[in-house]
Amino acid sequence: MTDKVTITINEEEVSVPARTLLVDAARMAGVEIPVFCSHPKLDPVGCCRMCLVEVDGPRGTAMMASCTMPVGDGMVVRTDTEQVRTVQEANLAFILLNHPLDCPICDKGGECPLQDQTMRFGPGISQLIEPKRLAKKHYDISDTIVLDQERCVLCWRCIRYLEEWEDKPQLGLFERGNDTIVDIQDGRPVDAKTSGNIIDLCPVGALTNRVSRFAYRPWEIERTPSICLHCSVGCNVRLDSRTHQLRRIVGRENMQVNDQWICDKGRFAHAWVNDENRLATPHLRKNGRLTRVQWSEALAYVAERLAGIREKYGPDSIGAIGSGKISNESNYALQRFMRAVIGTNNIDHRDGGDVAALPTGLPALSELMKPQYGPDPQVDTVLLFGLDPSEELPVLDLHVKRAVLRGGVKLIIAHPRKIELTRYDGPYLAYLPGGESTLVDGLVRAVQDSDPSEEESPVYAAAKLLKESERTLIVYGPMAVRGESGPGVRDGLARLARTAGEGARLSYVGLDGNAQGCRDTGVLPDRLPGQFPLDDVDARSRLEALWGCDLSTSPGYTYKQMLDSQEMKALFVNGANPAAESPDWAASLEELELLVVTDLLLTETAQKADVVLPAQGWAESDGTYTNLERRVQRAPKAVTDPKSRAAPDWMIFTHLAKQMGANWPFSDAHSVTAEIARAVPGYAELTWEALGDQGRQWDAGSAPEVEETAGRASEGTSESSVGDGDYPLSLVTGTVLYDGGTLFSLTDQMHGMAHGPTVTLNPADAAESGLEPGSVVTVRSEQGELDLTLAIDVQVQTGCAWIPESLPGAPVGALINGSFTQRVKVERH
Amino acid sequence: MITEQMRQEIDEILARYPAGRQRSGILPALYVIQREYGYCPVNAQDKLAEILGIAPAEVGAVVGFYNMLHEEPKGEYHIEVCTNVPCMLRGGNQCLHNFESALGIHHGEKTEDGRFALDHMECLGSCGTAPMAIVTDQKTGQIRYFENLDSSEDVEKALELLKSGNGFHSLERWTPEADPNGEGASDGPYRTGGMEPRYLMDRLNEPDSHRIETYEADGGYATARRVLSGIEPADMVEQIKASGIRGRGGAGFPTGVKWGFLPQGVQPRYMVVNADESEPGTFKDRIVMEYDPHQLIEGIILSCHAIESEKAFIYIRGEYYFAYTRMQDALAEARAKGYLGENIFGSGNSLDIVMHRGAGAYECGEETAQLTSLEGFRGQPRLKPPFPAVEGLYAKPTIVNNVESICNVTHVMRHGVDWYKEYGTERSPGMRIFCLSGNVKRPGLYELPHATPLSELVDKYGGGPQDENHPIKAIVPGGLSMKLLTPDQFDTPLDFESITEAGSLLGSAGVIAIDDRTSMVEVARRTLSFYREESCGKCTPCREGTAWLEKILLRIEEGQGLGRDLELMEFIADNIAGKSFCPFGEASVWGLQSNLLKFRPEFWSQIENTNPDDIGPVLPIRPDYRPNTHEKSGLRDSTFAPTGGNIVLHDDLVPGND
Repeated sequence: MTDKVTITINEEEVSVPARTLLVDAARMAGVEIPVFCSHPKLDPVGCCRMCLVEVDGPRGTAMMASCTMPVGDGMVVRTDTEQVRTVQEANLAFILLNHPLDCPICDKGGECPLQDQTMRFGPGISQLIEPKRLAKKHYDISDTIVLDQERCVLCWRCIRYLEEWEDKPQLGLFERGNDTIVDIQDGRPVDAKTSGNIIDLCPVGALTNRVSRFAYRPWEIERTPSICLHCSVGCNVRLDSRTHQLRRIVGRENMQVNDQWICDKGRFAHAWVNDENRLATPHLRKNGRLTRVQWSEALAYVAERLAGIREKYGPDSIGAIGSGKISNESNYALQRFMRAVIGTNNIDHRDGGDVAALPTGLPALSELMKPQYGPDPQVDTVLLFGLDPSEELPVLDLHVKRAVLRGGVKLIIAHPRKIELTRYDGPYLAYLPGGESTLVDGLVRAVQDSDPSEEESPVYAAAKLLKESERTLIVYGPMAVRGESGPGVRDGLARLARTAGEGARLSYVGLDGNAQGCRDTGVLPDRLPGQFPLDDVDARSRLEALWGCDLSTSPGYTYKQMLDSQEMKALFVNGANPAAESPDWAASLEELELLVVTDLLLTETAQKADVVLPAQGWAESDGTYTNLERRVQRAPKAVTDPKSRAAPDWMIFTHLAKQMGANWPFSDAHSVTAEIARAVPGYAELTWEALGDQGRQWDAGSAPEVEETAGRASEGTSESSVGDGDYPLSLVTGTVLYDGGTLFSLTDQMHGMAHGPTVTLNPADAAESGLEPGSVVTVRSEQGELDLTLAIDVQVQTGCAWIPESLPGAPVGALINGSFTQRVKVERH
Repeated sequence: MITEQMRQEIDEILARYPAGRQRSGILPALYVIQREYGYCPVNAQDKLAEILGIAPAEVGAVVGFYNMLHEEPKGEYHIEVCTNVPCMLRGGNQCLHNFESALGIHHGEKTEDGRFALDHMECLGSCGTAPMAIVTDQKTGQIRYFENLDSSEDVEKALELLKSGNGFHSLERWTPEADPNGEGASDGPYRTGGMEPRYLMDRLNEPDSHRIETYEADGGYATARRVLSGIEPADMVEQIKASGIRGRGGAGFPTGVKWGFLPQGVQPRYMVVNADESEPGTFKDRIVMEYDPHQLIEGIILSCHAIESEKAFIYIRGEYYFAYTRMQDALAEARAKGYLGENIFGSGNSLDIVMHRGAGAYECGEETAQLTSLEGFRGQPRLKPPFPAVEGLYAKPTIVNNVESICNVTHVMRHGVDWYKEYGTERSPGMRIFCLSGNVKRPGLYELPHATPLSELVDKYGGGPQDENHPIKAIVPGGLSMKLLTPDQFDTPLDFESITEAGSLLGSAGVIAIDDRTSMVEVARRTLSFYREESCGKCTPCREGTAWLEKILLRIEEGQGLGRDLELMEFIADNIAGKSFCPFGEASVWGLQSNLLKFRPEFWSQIENTNPDDIGPVLPIRPDYRPNTHEKSGLRDSTFAPTGGNIVLHDDLVPGND
């Protein structure tokens, strides 16, 4: 496929692909050339001069930088001559000249390429007797990254990463000559969402992790290959632990998922793992107070109460809420418990049954990726519908940007907000919540028969792009398809994909780390594991045989229905926190006869519980998670708190099942993984061992077809998208990366980054109502009210009020309470 | 803050650059800001970033790179005294001291009333009229040259003039001799001479030599008129090739051959005229632009015809403010006459010429760095290939030629190839402006054919040693970066080949004579101060090595030199030369290398006289212990590699193993 050329390195011939850089060719041949600036995932720059080698040319032998020189056929190269060694020594002497050599107090010490190369190639002595150059030390360039300009060797890796991948050149070289430094612009800290990758890239200790600073020495830590669960991309990470504590997270390469990059939330926001308030023992409410008890007492109590409630009100009075944040094993055990032991389909999770999803996620992330050396993206146009990767899926955002900038991918964005990705060329289709169907219908019509008179409109431009594209990928997120109108929107998008042509495909992506796995394992009121309908004969017989029971065929309540309904008597809440979402739900949880909460911390929901069971998190027990492209990945146990009695959820339900007379064959997490492989056809063969360190995608062909609902998409249009005198603004809500959730907010260092409790209006709307940015305002809806600080931003459309979910102490649920589209007004407080 | 008025001016500036390339206007836009505030405040930088659609850090990085852009106010009048070698040889240091005592401040400081700020500067392109200083008027952003400041009286006179507020009535250079009454009267062109008749410097001393009427009266623009409608571009390229013109900027690359590298049929393509004359000892392009701008413009019209370009940029060094205004006026004259714009001389050719001021960075004289700077970035060099002729400005085919090279084009096309080849030698044809500075009686510009002996230039034209009792002991033949020639080599003909044979390079033809009063240690230190200051900072050897060498030389000067220093300096120099990213590395140490070789006894005696006991830490030049390089380092040793792919330790190219 690629042309090969033969070159001679140190008298040995090697054959490498044409145009390979010499430094890479040498590596392929097993020859080590020292580098600082060169990096296989960044453009060559040739500034450190560490990689000079002898190359024979027409005008004799010359010292050439191997990191910028592509190989040519017949090239003769030597890397081991006296001259090369002398230059390497001299260059390291130059690099070390002003380096502070403060290795004993440097985080990088022990895993520092500068140390290693000095050891191997360095002069072994310092000639400098002049004073060293001084510069800024331990100086914060963001809440998470510390810069030491004295240690910096000016390799430009950080600068290039932010430029080439993030497209946010927030770091630059300042000053000149010997005074050159890497710095931020005064008062403009680095805020790229994946900025922490520059710490991994730094070949010295110039950039260090402010969260993990001084918390480890590289030779003392245990390294566990794992994955991140802050969002559904499922980036591969490595967990570094010491003395039972998670000390640091770094990116781990997986060319199918995250290349080598991870986002800052994934890297830095892990303080919750070792938080001192983690639940360590079961609690039982006695005399109105949660009291520490033994597992045996807690489990016996739960089993007894459940049996009683089932006896009295029937199995459908009991429900369970799973979570996209916990493992396949735990979710699977939970739904098996509900279906096989309790005998109900009342099992769901947030963004579960209330969302019109599709079963298979993205075809493959790699189709969107443009690695430094690798094929172009396989899609040519991406339509993002109701999805904001910059806030929701930062590494997907990175892939999309790179695909647009270097892979020629065209971007169409449909979103109620003018999201960050709209900075790239391409149609931006604005809509108000509730207006999704109308927009989709309009797009379909424009693709079918475009009206030339509307050539100027973004819809027309989008339709034109869709028609011209051969491999379109339409991706929508939960925001676009929540509630009753959801199926209509989904079907409209499916129609759009069909209309756009053969190569067009439609995908749904969930947002939580294991959103896909949650669906796959059957945490849905109307779907069995494998996402089969409740009446699917094959699936039923398979599961009934496996579980030794008869399964109920009546659909259960969705997440929202369980929380809204007055008929629920007992509820399991597993890794979810509905009480914080809405004041009404917080109140209705109090009405339950039995509330059992399994979680890591004493959440608002847990505080209302009758029984609180301490769970182990993703870093503490083996588990598998399925990302947004159906890749099932392992997260092995990396840390344990020896003082904690927390248990993995699957184990809790196994014991509970036993208390209620069912003997499950689960001895460890891997045995649950193995049962999932039997219960879900797509997961066949995906045992713990088979997944390896890079995970495996399940076969999309094994998923059930989605039936379309009858009727046109626009039938579901909510009336709230229409103007209203009393409540003139349309409420827009959604996920932000740095929210008030506990997984983020427990990391002290990141507090400054958190999205404050604000409502954001378009400057025009704020001016019209005479409201000053920064003032406290009251947002009212028919459901309730909320006091927030006013911000203005042109990214918010006129007629909209943008309030993110999960803001600290400001549940936007107070305004929506049940409905998915809402009109509000903003008034002076 | 950027006011509405500033915004308007900035928008006009940005409109000069091709659509979508508005970032190119960053330096002129920053000048607007600096004129308003006296420096570039961060909030204005951020606002400019917004206007240009780039990140604030990108603006800050540019401000930090260029010497003439300040991050804090520099006073009403910013005085910069040149102390680089050509000025040093004629009392530049004393001149700086005179300013210091007259103002009562140290350099790097500002007077209490904020009126004057004083700095020393390494080379301002006025080597023939040293010692000198430039003064920037913050209110207007204008710069005026104050030259021949030989005595403290001269300095006081200059300061009096500035204090009187009349210092900027004219922008033409000021000398004490030309302004006996202290009214701010200007002096004309500095000393020129050479062969008769002269071509490149023919009309400089005529009244109104810069006006288009003067130029046309001399037959100006007739050549362009004839060539544009009569000679095919390809034929013209052949003629220039045949003439053998070699680049006058320093490298001496044949101009016609360079033009021939342009790919066929790729448009747009650009001409960039390198007027960033910054090599110490060189001050020839300045006078052409100040006093004969139309000669250059006609050359550009001709050259753009040959290379089929419709847009040319003149990248002029920022300090050349007077030359800049003269060029601007001349361009306006030419435009008014229809010599620029659409359908020039009825030939169907179009040409637009944009003046672009640099902001104080020697490195921007290197062609790729110049293009990077012109695109609105820090002036750092980029990788070659691709060469500018293939992918230059805005990644389009671009020719970068020196001002004097372009002027030669005019004369070749006017008088013919055969005429041109009568001058000089076969491989170094034509005439050349030699810039003579340092310890000679008559420093100045001398137009002579290539291969004129060095001694003839120095003795006949330059009048020999400045002081008869102090013979010249060394000459730099081609700008400060070139290797020194010693008296036994003074008869070398000044052509590319002969100077190369003598172990140096003709470079930019900046000839600096050094007499025996001068300490060669100081020459070396000044040279390295310049290169340390001007290194762009991109690559390690140049950035670190030049500063190290300067520190060692300073220590030797201060009397703490060690016996081992000379060998160490040679080791450092050897590992900068040829190891750096661009030719700057070589240029920074050639002078030192030849100095150490030819004047070693001077270094020795300085060390022995001041530090006879060789007091200082004793360290071997090369280490006794060296690691065994045949052993694999832990860096890539699998036994040390943790499982799970540790990217912190491994920068390997690992394809996904899925």
